[in-house]
Amino acid sequence: MTTETALDFQHRAFSPGRVFAITSNTLTELTRQKVFYVVLIFALLLIGSSIVLARFSFQQEFQILKDVSLGAISIFTSLLAIVATARLIPQDIEDRTVYTILAKPVARFEYLIGKLIGVLLLLAISTAIMSAMFLAVLYFREQSALHETARQLANAPQEQLEDALRAVRASAFNYNLVPGIAVIYLKSCLLASLALFISTFASTNIFTIVVMTFVYLIGHLQATAREYWLQENVPTWTARVFLALVALLFPDLQAFNLVDDVVAGAAIPLAVFVKTAVLGLFYTTIYAFLAAFVFYGKEL
Amino acid sequence: MTTEPAVAVRGLTKIFPVPFRRNPLVAIRDLDLQVVAGEVYGLLGPNGSGKSTTLKIILGLVSPTRGEAKIFGRSSSLVSSRAGVGFLPENPYFYRYLTGQETLSFFGKLCGLRRDRLRKRIDELLKLVGLTNARERRLGTYSKGMLQRIGLAQALINDPKLVVLDEPTAGVDPAGSRAICDLILDLKRRGITALLSSPLLAQAQEICDRVGILANGILIREGKLEELIAIENRSEFVLENASDALVAEIEALAQRSNAKLIARRKSTTTLERLFLDATKDRPNE
Amino acid sequence: MIRSLTATAMLLVFGAIKLPIESNLGAEEREFHLRTTEFDLGLREKLGQLGFVAALSGFRSVVADVLFIQAHVAWERTEWGRVLLLFRQVTTLQPRAILFWDMAAWHMAWNASVAALNDKSQPRQALRIKAQREYFDLGKDFLEGGIRNNPNSPQLYESLARLYRDKYNDHERASECFAKAAALPGAPVYDRRFSAYELSSCPGREREAYERLRELYDKGEKERLPTLISRLKFLEEKLNVPIERRIPDPDPLKR
Repeated sequence: MTTETALDFQHRAFSPGRVFAITSNTLTELTRQKVFYVVLIFALLLIGSSIVLARFSFQQEFQILKDVSLGAISIFTSLLAIVATARLIPQDIEDRTVYTILAKPVARFEYLIGKLIGVLLLLAISTAIMSAMFLAVLYFREQSALHETARQLANAPQEQLEDALRAVRASAFNYNLVPGIAVIYLKSCLLASLALFISTFASTNIFTIVVMTFVYLIGHLQATAREYWLQENVPTWTARVFLALVALLFPDLQAFNLVDDVVAGAAIPLAVFVKTAVLGLFYTTIYAFLAAFVFYGKEL
Repeated sequence: MTTEPAVAVRGLTKIFPVPFRRNPLVAIRDLDLQVVAGEVYGLLGPNGSGKSTTLKIILGLVSPTRGEAKIFGRSSSLVSSRAGVGFLPENPYFYRYLTGQETLSFFGKLCGLRRDRLRKRIDELLKLVGLTNARERRLGTYSKGMLQRIGLAQALINDPKLVVLDEPTAGVDPAGSRAICDLILDLKRRGITALLSSPLLAQAQEICDRVGILANGILIREGKLEELIAIENRSEFVLENASDALVAEIEALAQRSNAKLIARRKSTTTLERLFLDATKDRPNE
Repeated sequence: MIRSLTATAMLLVFGAIKLPIESNLGAEEREFHLRTTEFDLGLREKLGQLGFVAALSGFRSVVADVLFIQAHVAWERTEWGRVLLLFRQVTTLQPRAILFWDMAAWHMAWNASVAALNDKSQPRQALRIKAQREYFDLGKDFLEGGIRNNPNSPQLYESLARLYRDKYNDHERASECFAKAAALPGAPVYDRRFSAYELSSCPGREREAYERLRELYDKGEKERLPTLISRLKFLEEKLNVPIERRIPDPDPLKR
């Protein structure tokens, strides 16, 4: 009489609710693991340790504080991006949890996207915490330097005092640090997405991590290789092919290292920031797409 | 009145290419089977016979090399075919950092359940599988039996019409095993179809309506259980309070006819029942 | 397998698409002084392998800071050769950090030069003076290098002016440098005064110096600092400025 269909409700091809369930699950998984806390505390210690730079002048102190803190934020978000993502899918496959999940009406790409967004959220939270710590330390040191300067120039003309205080403030917080940190975050998103892609066809975690380390280093050289290749006076044919492969296959990670020069006083124009941000998002999306492509064909 | 079979497999073949070897692995060969809605079907066979692979193809986790599989008329390759299906995999792990409640909540959300409906369902299922007291504990602290039970609960979270169980009693103690079998029979009573694979034949015999036997990827026997195991030309009688005289008369009757008396013995209980009765009073987890 | 190869092919295609975008972005970033260091063999030689890799991995500034701290330690140990070497590396890594150029020049022209002049291991004074002058020149090189990389920095011009004033006794160049500094955005107000002061010490340019100092004086009370007044007085005497045009004598109580 009637054909039985086993549906209680209409199945939607794409459900943000399902993706969100996987995202929050991934976030929970990552934050309940000790490695996250170890990395975070390490970063915070590093940033906090900049307080012991008292033997230098305030200009030098602020410079070193900014360099070390931003360097810490950069390395730890990159590390977290790679290590946290490398394990995600292989772990699920090994534990067979992936079967239970995909046996539900969940599309493979929803599963992947959910995992990736979970990592990106984790990276955002980590970046925010480390940046807050960094800015707090910078603020306290700035206040301390301002008081010291005011004390030293108590008997000096007002103009001179204002000049000196302005110099202190100028060498401390610089608004360009914010887009600089945003770009560091985008770099970590790119690395997470790429690690996800590599992990879809890697057989072990170690493979993914080794490949990503390799990519990280080569990625910083990609700009040099690319410029050299585009100049067209490369000596040998094999060198041309090699440089071409590096230029095409690897992301240009130097494009995301803007903080070095921001600390030295350069400003990031809005146009450059937007283009860099778009490039970062572009990379992240493409790698995620490639990951989905390989994952769809994967025998589980 | 035709109803779609719960599971329909036609011409299913799965070949796994093995790198660096010339002969690929043929896991399943031209398999045809059907599971009627509302029955308990047992897929039996030795290890490596292709049972798990067949189940995975039915669930759309693995794609077949040839042939097709359908659930209630929908191709297994469609995500929507799994909307009314629950799956308990072999030796499930789940996420050990989640509590029992969080696990069910997660899987419920994947099936589209929300808020009150989800909460109610979680409470029902935890009660059904006897894990209400352990709902706040992380799965990393659960015993094997408890993991199996939470696995069953998540398989039932979306009130499925078809439940697929891959070796549901593997590594579970007799009491737990019994509970799971009772649960499966209960599902059947409620009209839910169950497809299970098991190497434990005695158990399959108890709960399955139909069975299929796989060996080397080929379905060598299939059909209703009673018909398959019935030994055509033999009959059994079980008598209670029979006197010795009556027994002797029956024996003589048999000897006078063309029939042959094969055996006469005392009825036995099973070791399982003996064990369960003996351990009945011990508190269960 | 096939999927992986297809994915690699797609990666190459995507690579071809992104290549011009990256190239343009790189050029634009360099234009805004956002990517100033070339990673080539020269840098590798200067930094050694570990430093090069660290710098490469996006820790250029941290490496520069580490080397800076090492330079500081070398200074405390008066290892001048090492100080020079380290500062060369530091300024190569961070050419946009004014601080480093400034410190480098200071160490050379003010510290190392004094050490060279008082070097007890060198008995001949002529050679000690020669060594001192070499250090002055090294300091000047650093400041000029800094200015090349940071043409809009008043701080470096100021330091160069001081170098000419205090070490080379070249008041004319000092005045020029102070003037250049004063013309740049963000320069402290005293640069114009200092430029005029230096000019007032240049033989043959007293008239010019007087005009400038008078202009500043006429601006108001803020500019009428003791040094300015005394220089004006000095020039008025030298140039025989008519009494009615001279500035009033400063109130002795104000001193």
